[in-house]
Amino acid sequence: MALNPMHQFEVYRLGPEINLGPANLSFTNASLFMAISAATILFFLFFGTKKKSLVPSKIQLVTEMTYSFIAKMINDTAGSAARPFFPFIFTLFMFVLFCNMVGMLPYSFTVTSHIIVTFALAAIVFIGVTIIGFIKHGIKYLELFVPKGVPFVLLPLIVVIEIISYLSRPVSLSVRLFANMMAGHTMLKVFGGFVISLGLLGGWLPLSFSVALTGLEILVAFLQAYVFAILTCIYLNDALNLHH
Amino acid sequence: MKNLNEISTRLEIAKKNIKKNQIKDKDTNAASLGKALKISTELVASVVVGSTIGFLLDNWFDTKPMLTICFFFMGVAAGILNVFRSAKKMHNKLNK
Repeated sequence: MALNPMHQFEVYRLGPEINLGPANLSFTNASLFMAISAATILFFLFFGTKKKSLVPSKIQLVTEMTYSFIAKMINDTAGSAARPFFPFIFTLFMFVLFCNMVGMLPYSFTVTSHIIVTFALAAIVFIGVTIIGFIKHGIKYLELFVPKGVPFVLLPLIVVIEIISYLSRPVSLSVRLFANMMAGHTMLKVFGGFVISLGLLGGWLPLSFSVALTGLEILVAFLQAYVFAILTCIYLNDALNLHH
Repeated sequence: MKNLNEISTRLEIAKKNIKKNQIKDKDTNAASLGKALKISTELVASVVVGSTIGFLLDNWFDTKPMLTICFFFMGVAAGILNVFRSAKKMHNKLNK
């Protein structure tokens, strides 16, 4: 069991089983680690903004850096029209980042390595962006599916292709995060298993690989949160400023 | 007052460092890796979505393999379109 690389992704119930109609609302280890991530974010932001000194302390500096990082990203990709959505994108980025980073701690559980979690996040983005587009442009938002300068004969085919391309957004957004996290953690576990099975004699090589992969995984954890947030900005930009 | 002077010199040094870094990290390794990961999944996702739509429509209209095949190819086309668009965006950004 300890050597099974997929064992770490198992979701199990903590505490009593709670059923609300057909939905199983029991508190699982996934919920626990989501709560831990959310609490860590709150903690971090609370202490980062508690003492607002002119010369920032270290934690205040990091908090301000994350703020300006996201603000700059939104400004660069979606323009100033997207500024009202800053709280949402900031929350999304921080949640994905902290879920990924908490998952890097030994004995913890990576929430984002489950496709249902990432797909739910991507679906929120997708549905939200579609609603924003329709509110902003009304029925003209459907022009997104009709590129300019296409011959009339080809139009039915192009429209179907455009719709598929639009619908593939949440899938690619969620699969990217899920696949990267799951592949990385499986690989770490496989190399960790090699260390144990090869023992004191041959275990040093996989151990060094493990160390290197941990560094890579931390980079990927940050990068995936960044990509998730920046793609949300790009989709938002498409909805706000209707042109390709 | 001495404290403020110290801060202003520190600020100047920091500003200089920022200028130096801005030239350097225009296209860092991390950003390129992010782009690569982004494009690779875009191609696959469209094919999956296209095939799924075809499969569902097939079940609905009872035309077993035909629509799945059609929509599979449309999914491929949509995937290539997505990749092409991302690449174009990257190209435009580089030329700016």
